[in-house]
Amino acid sequence: MISERTRRNLRRELRRSLLAKLGIIVVVLMVAMAVFAPFISPYSPSQQNLDNSRQPPLGFSTKETKEVTKMEDGSVVIEDGQVVTETQTVYTNATAAHPLGTDGNGRDILSRIIYGARTSILVGLFGTSLAALIGVLVGLSAGFYRGRVDDVLMRSADIMLAFPSLVLAIALVGVWGQAQAPIPDPFVATGLAPAFRSAVGLPTGMPETVVLPGTVIVVVALVNWVWFARVARGEALSIREEEYVKAAKALGASDGRTMLRHVLPNAITPILVLATIQVAAIILLESALSFLGFSGADVSWGFDIALGRQYQSTAWWISTMPGLAIVVTVIGLNLVGDWLRDALDPGIEGEGGV
Amino acid sequence: MSLSRFLIKRSLQGLFVIWGVITVVFGLRFISPGDPANVLLPPDVDPEVRAQVIAELGLNEPLYVQYWEFVSGIPFGDLGLSLVTRTPVAARVVAKLPATLELAIAATVVAVVIAIPLGVLSATRRHQPADYGATVFSLVGISTPNFWLGVMLILVLAVQLNLFPTSQRPIGLDGIAMLLAGGEAGAAIRGFVTWLWHITLPAITLGTYFTALITRLTRSGMLDQLGQTYVRASRAKGLPETLVRYKHALRNTLIPVITVIGLQLGTLIGGAVITEAVFAWPGLGTLIINSINARDWPVLQGSLIVVAVGFVLVNILVDALYAYVNPQVAYD
Repeated sequence: MISERTRRNLRRELRRSLLAKLGIIVVVLMVAMAVFAPFISPYSPSQQNLDNSRQPPLGFSTKETKEVTKMEDGSVVIEDGQVVTETQTVYTNATAAHPLGTDGNGRDILSRIIYGARTSILVGLFGTSLAALIGVLVGLSAGFYRGRVDDVLMRSADIMLAFPSLVLAIALVGVWGQAQAPIPDPFVATGLAPAFRSAVGLPTGMPETVVLPGTVIVVVALVNWVWFARVARGEALSIREEEYVKAAKALGASDGRTMLRHVLPNAITPILVLATIQVAAIILLESALSFLGFSGADVSWGFDIALGRQYQSTAWWISTMPGLAIVVTVIGLNLVGDWLRDALDPGIEGEGGV
Repeated sequence: MSLSRFLIKRSLQGLFVIWGVITVVFGLRFISPGDPANVLLPPDVDPEVRAQVIAELGLNEPLYVQYWEFVSGIPFGDLGLSLVTRTPVAARVVAKLPATLELAIAATVVAVVIAIPLGVLSATRRHQPADYGATVFSLVGISTPNFWLGVMLILVLAVQLNLFPTSQRPIGLDGIAMLLAGGEAGAAIRGFVTWLWHITLPAITLGTYFTALITRLTRSGMLDQLGQTYVRASRAKGLPETLVRYKHALRNTLIPVITVIGLQLGTLIGGAVITEAVFAWPGLGTLIINSINARDWPVLQGSLIVVAVGFVLVNILVDALYAYVNPQVAYD
């Protein structure tokens, strides 16, 4: 399906572009982090330690003044029938045990970011796949049959496009409610991760399931399939005029076979480029839904940003760190998208070519 | 096809899309688990009372009657009654509209004022530090979730440095216009300063993605134009470089850029929803989120219709403008 020429173009562009290399590294690291979370995460993302909440990340310390009960010789001091309080300065230092600090409930932020990557990447991959499946089916049929079919399908695409995607996604998730499917984590279920963790001395007790945010995946696909439909339709419109498509028809190939075996493979390049950019867009959409509290996810970068807001005057890192994770991931995906576009579509030049 | 025939065709298409939007929004209620009567009533309510409420809401009517009730009022600005407050939805949406519109406009102004000069600078100094700076800025800008940017701006500029308020909209442009109309110029100016002070962070939050996007577009469009034969011809003819760049090349770059600005208005409204949530900005986005939390479906449906219909109308307007300024366009 991928020709030698295409592969050569990809390699040449990759050698030329520093940013493309950077993008691939970031994306590979993020995916690895998500897949191997139960091995590398320092703690369970939900493990609380209220005595150690709001610990700053490495390189920072905090100073807080607190009203505490005054104690003398191990007993409370009472004057005029009232418990006497005094102000005490409390310093909290960073420790290597929590390199990115802890959140308001004393949960390790690094662990939450590692596990949060799972939510983002699950939604990004499944959401994009579903959107591509719907969009490509619709777009190919519209472009292949043209006429009435094209009109009906593309006008419904117009209707979808009239809604801002975030607004429609919020409305759909809000109305539908949140269905989630817990899937057993294969590494924990097979005992691989716990064995590894006790061997290297990491705390055990990692979550046994990965939560698949079902509604969110369906909703982001329903909101974003239109882009795939438009691209697939445009490709199908031009490919259907090619000699080999006419030849396949003349030989008696069915419409379905012609579309899947002859039209789709030749339309795949722009669809792939679009898919890369859509993974980034869908990760952003998921984080927005989680930030607003509509996705139902409790380990998600967007959700953690929202959680950190109540500590914005005392613990800036709680909201900052997960946001950085989103930015880095999305930059990585956009760079990969730029690389694919520059390598596969020589017509477009300029952007991203440092 | 003539311009007027194009406009008629485009308007008919727009009407069809608006009908589709209304139908989709009507259908939204049916995917919700549980019926609207549950919003109003406690779960252990007497079945007779329940039946009465369902009858009052018209929920036991046949589907086509309910659909007709829903659709027929819309052309006259009737979006039904809120389930919770039993007040007209249209009035509530209209009351929230100015806050969202002024946020969207302020963000667009921020984006255009920064992005077009930056894009031009980037294109005319290709492979120089300014170009790399602008490229990195636009890459980071399109990759940053705007709600997080808002949280960060609040964290640094409002909480730590105390330069801006963290939230709220004490006065809007509508209020300032009323002061002006009442002849209170001094109060209007003070009001405007307050407004500007409060809208700065939300406008940057909402505008950054667009700034980045338009910078990219302007840069690539400008590079494209500077490579065209007419630019070379103008240079060969001895026209000053500033004239070639800023009169000819920039002008041709701006046509598609302006179209994109128009078409991105939907994304802008989507972004406004979440920006409003970050800054407690009392606009349409806040109304939508509150209506979902209260399960007040009519308010949600009305807001969605207003947003989508507004977007369709803006699109038609942009198409018409585009066709008008660029006679080369094929009207189809």
